[in-house]
Amino acid sequence: MPRTGPRTGEAGLRRPNDPPVLILTSLASGPKHGHALSKDIEDFAGVILGPGALYGAITRLEERGLIEPLESSDRRRPYRITTAGAAALAGAVADMRRLAEEGATRLTLSGGAI
Amino acid sequence: MGPRADAGGRAPHRSAGLLRWYPATWRERYGDELDALMADSLGGRPPSPRFRLSIAWAGLRERAHGSGLVGDGSPPAERVRGGSLLVLCAWTAFVVGGVGFSKTSEHFVGTVPASGRPLSTGSFDAVQVLASVGAVLVVLGAVLVLPAFVRFLGAGGWPAIRRRVLWAGAATVVTVAAVIPLGVIAHRLNSAQRNGADWHYSVGFAVVALASVATLALWTAAAVAAVQRMELRTGLVVAESALATALAAVMVLITGSTALWWGSMAFSAPWFLQGTSTGTPGSPFELNIVVAMALMLGATLAAGFGVVRMSRSWSRLLSG
Repeated sequence: MPRTGPRTGEAGLRRPNDPPVLILTSLASGPKHGHALSKDIEDFAGVILGPGALYGAITRLEERGLIEPLESSDRRRPYRITTAGAAALAGAVADMRRLAEEGATRLTLSGGAI
Repeated sequence: MGPRADAGGRAPHRSAGLLRWYPATWRERYGDELDALMADSLGGRPPSPRFRLSIAWAGLRERAHGSGLVGDGSPPAERVRGGSLLVLCAWTAFVVGGVGFSKTSEHFVGTVPASGRPLSTGSFDAVQVLASVGAVLVVLGAVLVLPAFVRFLGAGGWPAIRRRVLWAGAATVVTVAAVIPLGVIAHRLNSAQRNGADWHYSVGFAVVALASVATLALWTAAAVAAVQRMELRTGLVVAESALATALAAVMVLITGSTALWWGSMAFSAPWFLQGTSTGTPGSPFELNIVVAMALMLGATLAAGFGVVRMSRSWSRLLSG
């Protein structure tokens, strides 16, 4: 099956509930600092990311150039998604969509209901 | 901004000490942010044990990342260097286990009849020879890295390792200062008194043993801190990783030989392991040898992880 975006694995994005995927998804709607990210992720995914896990993922995402910090006079520094991050998220979303469609198709073929 | 922050945006510091789990370079970049997030998350409550554990785990993972031990974000040379240093740390723990084995097996040749120890004598000799080989490999690794260490010091690297070296030096002084009187006292005691009958000596021995372990660990930490900061040529990184791989192989062989010694003693002379009279039946699971074996096995597994980590980066390191 042809790929439409950057390979999910290459960007370090593996599963939908991986902290990097959740953080990129949250930042896709605008810059946020750590606490706002944590609350947003809990709201839209039901996943509670502890401070350690959140900042571990933020560190890796920044190293890969998928997010970047914004200037802040506060200790609560906001982050925004970069162009590369948006492309990586688009690839991950496309992969997830393909998987969801494949699952839906197979369930339909086998007579299951979704 | 969280409601509990002060006017300057500085949150209460009930969890600030947890940041020490993270490496200094990481703290400089993200420490304030994580501290603020922890304060927001806790909302003025003290951190729970689970919260502390999660931060400690995340901090240790960050240290492992910084050392090139986990993750694929660091360059191949860093990953190989991290693997080599892990083997060195594992060797330190292994030496502690080896000292425990040495204490257990002390005088066994003179105590156990020759007919009951052909296998144990051979495995014991193998442990001694292999331990010497391991020590030579470590010394060789240190000699190879010495010129880079001198350059590191010449380039102003001393402040970065000063605190660790001073701690290690102080621990060495304390250990030596404790060993000398203990040695004098030991010469005035008989074998039974040295092996638990005199509790004053036992306490002193335990203190010296702990001080020795601390000294060894502190010097290893100082060496790791220095090597992590040095500029190393690719050839040197490869040479050090080859020595580390050989050292890991030596650890496997020593662990196997020690297990063989233990097994043969359990079969032919379990009374020796328990320190009871000749021929007395008993369990071979004496605490000292169990702990020593566990340490050696754990250290060998850690060294194996280091070798696997290195081997996955060798081809990329040599090609590029």
